[in-house]
Amino acid sequence: MSDPVRPGASRAAAFARNPAFWVVILLLAVGAVRMSQILARFLEAFPIATVAAIGLFGLLAIPFWLFVSELDFLEREPAGLMSVAFAWGGLVATSVSIPASTALENLIAKIGSPSLAAEWGAALAGPSVEEIAKTLGVVAIVLIARSQVNSVLDGVVYGALVGLGFQIVEDVVFAIGAVALAGQGDQIQPVVTTFLVRGFLAGVWSHTLFGALAGAGIGYLVVTTDRGRAHRIIMAGLALFGAWASHVLWNSPLFREGLGNGAVALLAVLVFKGLPPLLLILYLVRRAHDREAAYYVAQLASLRDPELITVGELRALGSGSRRAAARRHAAASAGRQARVRVRRLQRAQARLAVELSRASAGSTERPDGRHHDDVREQRAALVALGHPEAVEGVHSWRHTASTVGTTAVAIAVLWVALSALGGG
Amino acid sequence: MGTVTRRQLTDLPSTPGLIIALVLVAILAALSFGLPAVDRAVSAQRPVRAGEPYRVGAGVSVVPPPGATLDVTGTRPGDDRGTALFRIGAVRYAIAVQPFDGDLTAAAVRLRQRITGTSGYQVTGTQLAVSTAGGLAGLQGGYTAGDRGGRYAVFVAHGLTIEVTVSGGDLDLGRSLPTIDASTKTLRYEGTR
Repeated sequence: MSDPVRPGASRAAAFARNPAFWVVILLLAVGAVRMSQILARFLEAFPIATVAAIGLFGLLAIPFWLFVSELDFLEREPAGLMSVAFAWGGLVATSVSIPASTALENLIAKIGSPSLAAEWGAALAGPSVEEIAKTLGVVAIVLIARSQVNSVLDGVVYGALVGLGFQIVEDVVFAIGAVALAGQGDQIQPVVTTFLVRGFLAGVWSHTLFGALAGAGIGYLVVTTDRGRAHRIIMAGLALFGAWASHVLWNSPLFREGLGNGAVALLAVLVFKGLPPLLLILYLVRRAHDREAAYYVAQLASLRDPELITVGELRALGSGSRRAAARRHAAASAGRQARVRVRRLQRAQARLAVELSRASAGSTERPDGRHHDDVREQRAALVALGHPEAVEGVHSWRHTASTVGTTAVAIAVLWVALSALGGG
Repeated sequence: MGTVTRRQLTDLPSTPGLIIALVLVAILAALSFGLPAVDRAVSAQRPVRAGEPYRVGAGVSVVPPPGATLDVTGTRPGDDRGTALFRIGAVRYAIAVQPFDGDLTAAAVRLRQRITGTSGYQVTGTQLAVSTAGGLAGLQGGYTAGDRGGRYAVFVAHGLTIEVTVSGGDLDLGRSLPTIDASTKTLRYEGTR
């Protein structure tokens, strides 16, 4: 079995010398022009609703962005490339999908029947066009910065960001469509309803999730070079098919009948149509994360230097929940400053692990010891705070109670939203 | 772990990267221009049986005007809502049925606002009461958009709003309106969604 990570160069890619970069920039510019034209029409017809929609869905993007960027804690992606992925989803994939999805749905009505298009048009046309257009965004990232896609998890991150960009822009378009359909002028109530339904209830299993799955396939295609090309292409194709199938299931008319219109019916739809793909994709992301984490932790373990990383810290660094537990423990035992310092130490250790992996892969760049010094500096600061090791503490009943309480509040909010929207 | 070469550690070499980028552009062009071109090449018009009711959706039916064809791109029948789009020459005759919990006045206001919400569209004249042979009561009026004219009518019954919009060039519209008005009067709620 191959290593889960194929280390890439640390220096910024020479973008300007790469013709593919300029092709991608041109596509982004064309997408920006097309989406700006749509936005200008929205602003002319419904200025208040449009600003409200952009504001609400823009805010929704923040937690998704933070979550996705935290997925690859150990080898963080450059903000510029993450922005390109997001922009691809919001500008290129959307501007391609709007005419193409309409055309495909029309063809379903023409070749099949209007009834078939009414029932399955949205389920078949949208996913078929959108999943291709979004996946090409991850391919674009590979083209302009191949060295930055060096694990399956990187593909997940870029795919999720392409999906997030698509989701936010699509939600704004849907919100303004709802305003126009309501026929009550420039009102924000349809925007709020769209936000609750598409952003809050359906947001979790939307394009971000599907994009992550397709992106994992591109990551696998690029990274697992010890496998045959046919095998890698089939796996990438399967991932794209999985994203398409999840999207089709979500858009499909299945379970639409027979469950009524109440909160229970809405919850059942969310569970039956959304949960299986959600769990599958979370499992795959977890697996990709753990494999990558194990690889980087092994790089650090080879140092055998407790000033750089201790055995306990090696264990904590490999898991998102244990890293968080170590930060909580620091805050509980030495205050907020220690929490901040533990986070900085973990980041410094992660950067060191990436540098070590590049050195072990024979990179032409020579390690300059900067990351070693950075770790030692953070360690010294922690020692000064009386909390020398960034490890988990004893399991706290307070944290358990807080988790249970937060979950209960989340369920209550979800139930209220379902009741309000489902009329139950 | 496979051998990592210097070439792999840097970005893709320019030439293959450019070729793949151009393939990517070709796929995007096929989606955004090719699919619509194929769509335009396939006819959307379907004949409808003269004199027979056509089910729009949600239990609502209409007898299409003589000589009308069904445009399947604007037709989506459903159990709780539906749309039907007929074409009589260059005139567009659309019917949309959807759930609605307001009264007739509110439905008319909503439709008028949707019409005037489209850039260049203006409502003209006063609204008149209208009714169908099946007993549905409604309101109708007119609108213009440049050199195109239009008529609208709206009915509310059984928790549904039935919106009718007709548009076309003034000359074509003048010729087709009598048969379209006659068709609108055949709108009927059949009670089984």
